[in-house]
Amino acid sequence: MRKFWGIFLVLVLVVSMVAVGCGQKQEPAKEEQKAQEAPKEEAKQETTGDVVKVGWIGSLTGDQAVWGQCEFNTVKMLVEEINAQGGLLGKKLEAIGYDTRGDAMEAVNAVRRLTSQDKVVAIIGPNASGQAIPISTVLEEMKVPDIATVATNPKVTVVDGKTKPFNFRVCFIDPYQGAVAAGYAVDVLKFKKAAVLYDVADDYSQGLTEFFIKTFTEKGGEIVAKEAFKSGDTDFRPQLSKIKTANPDIIFMPYFFKEVALSANQARELGIKAVLMGGDGWPSEVLLEMARDAVNGSYFVNHVDFDDPAVQDFKNRYMKKYDRKVELNGYLAHDAFLMFVDAVKRANSFDPVAIRDALETTNIQGITGNIKIGKDTHNPEGKEAAIIKIVDGKYVFQQKYSPSK
Amino acid sequence: MIQFLQQMINGLSIGSVYALMAVGYSLVYSIMNFSNFAHGGIIMLGAYFGFFFLTLFNWPFAMAFLGAAICAAILAVLVERVAYKPLRMRNAPFLYFIISAMGASMFIENFVIATIGPTFKTYPTVFSREPFRLGPLFIGRLDTMMFVISAICLAALIYFIDFTKMGKAIQATAFNPRASALMGINTDLIIITVFAIGGFLAGIAGVLFGMKYTVYPQIGFITIKSFIAAVFGGLGSLPGAVIGSVILGVLETLISGYFSSQFRDLISFSLLIFILVFRPIGLMGKSTEEKA
Repeated sequence: MRKFWGIFLVLVLVVSMVAVGCGQKQEPAKEEQKAQEAPKEEAKQETTGDVVKVGWIGSLTGDQAVWGQCEFNTVKMLVEEINAQGGLLGKKLEAIGYDTRGDAMEAVNAVRRLTSQDKVVAIIGPNASGQAIPISTVLEEMKVPDIATVATNPKVTVVDGKTKPFNFRVCFIDPYQGAVAAGYAVDVLKFKKAAVLYDVADDYSQGLTEFFIKTFTEKGGEIVAKEAFKSGDTDFRPQLSKIKTANPDIIFMPYFFKEVALSANQARELGIKAVLMGGDGWPSEVLLEMARDAVNGSYFVNHVDFDDPAVQDFKNRYMKKYDRKVELNGYLAHDAFLMFVDAVKRANSFDPVAIRDALETTNIQGITGNIKIGKDTHNPEGKEAAIIKIVDGKYVFQQKYSPSK
Repeated sequence: MIQFLQQMINGLSIGSVYALMAVGYSLVYSIMNFSNFAHGGIIMLGAYFGFFFLTLFNWPFAMAFLGAAICAAILAVLVERVAYKPLRMRNAPFLYFIISAMGASMFIENFVIATIGPTFKTYPTVFSREPFRLGPLFIGRLDTMMFVISAICLAALIYFIDFTKMGKAIQATAFNPRASALMGINTDLIIITVFAIGGFLAGIAGVLFGMKYTVYPQIGFITIKSFIAAVFGGLGSLPGAVIGSVILGVLETLISGYFSSQFRDLISFSLLIFILVFRPIGLMGKSTEEKA
């Protein structure tokens, strides 16, 4: 009988594992279900002479699943559209995506699978720096380029002054974003005292904190409190109570929307009236659902003005196909895909190294702005940030802003 | 002083969340002598039930709350029937129970990811977020409600265990299952009852947790803290679970508020190890005779 129970336990575990494998559905909606089942199905197909595979990695489960799912949906939609127009260089594209679950190790495994097993010609994603930084060794080993979408930490493309040959990105970087937030807080909003609450376990949050504090103090402001928490925490009141006694004008919250919503709600429950501010980890429909009142009147730095005429066509196409609003990551996944298509066309080849070489000289107009890749940084240079204010549950564009101005 | 009082209020609020969850661990441990790691999964399911009853069926809050607790109780019993009873019937080694508990926990989490989805669900606003004000102190309405509900549930549970026939049978079974069975106590029914009570409390904890924070498949993860609190207070002791939870909640808050949140887990877990080294049965742990 022990044998029977051994088999039973193994079965329970196997069912759980299978559930993980298939378990990437966001909502019961059919489109979403299709979106989540896609990676498994597509991975089964063999590469033929007429099909070229493009990889995508990101969070399909975990805290940032909303963003990852939007990114992958975007990539698949664009692949479908390009195939409908006859393909790229006469070949059909196929998108293959793997879930990183927001985990660095999973991201490395996913890239290894995409490059060695699926033989993709390029990878789009991931959506966070924590997963974009560690994948570079595999990319270099397999000689396949990657275009990160919303990975803003400088180390994604450059480490110790050396450019990572196969890593590119489509978004601006944290030093710039932190400086934009601090510059806007001092120069435009005229705030003098800031507190910072940040995620000590996250590269993104730490980077933004560092550059926000640097610029804020350089411009004559004072940091009256600096408190930390760890990813996964749900209660921020001990830190917020401390921040409250420091009486700041503004609290900078450089982390992602779930924690932003929880901490904003708790800040208001503690009677904190200070204006809240954050970076590109904020914009999500989930933030407004969870903390509509608490974040009212807050500001954040964004990659795109959601009302910009340039993004409306994409927004509408996405809404029509998936019957839901596009998240911030979708816009950047869109532009990363444009970068890839442009590089393939200019290289006139699907050779990953030729695509990499072409990516270095990218200069295109995306929906998030002009994308001119710096050869020594692999970052888009001169991209302006958009300042967004949350007003009555809506993201209201304020202005394009650059701290040097 | 005001900040200290505010931090104590914060700590009690966190402690009451831990307490509701920790009691479930203690209750099962007192009877089965193993920790039901699927408890976190039941809490998570309770949170989802409450959410769906409120949003899909538009039930009144009290009904949704009770419905979620009952559903969680039924599921907890189901987990016992599927994952533990067969092992119990075969006198399987202790390790099998732990593995089965972990398997059940993984299964529940992944089942929810696969069927409901991995993203967050936000409870509709049932109570105003406007806090009570006591001079310069701010006390959240939901925190107050959680504290009151936790206290009522725990008082009712202690009354049930100490003053009802079934409660005495539970105590007897905790003391010696074999002798209890020989004396005519239906131990299988006792186990069902204990899991149902644990599940009921888990459902309540889940709904409160969901309202206070948010609902997502990994919320069961927070139960690791309540498990630690239960060990801290003395596994198998209900007052121990409550006291351990409150101490842990307050301790964490004071460390975060007066030192740094980076030291929070380091110091609180160091203290836990310290307690366990010098008092392995935990703060309120009792000998087997006085369990439950």
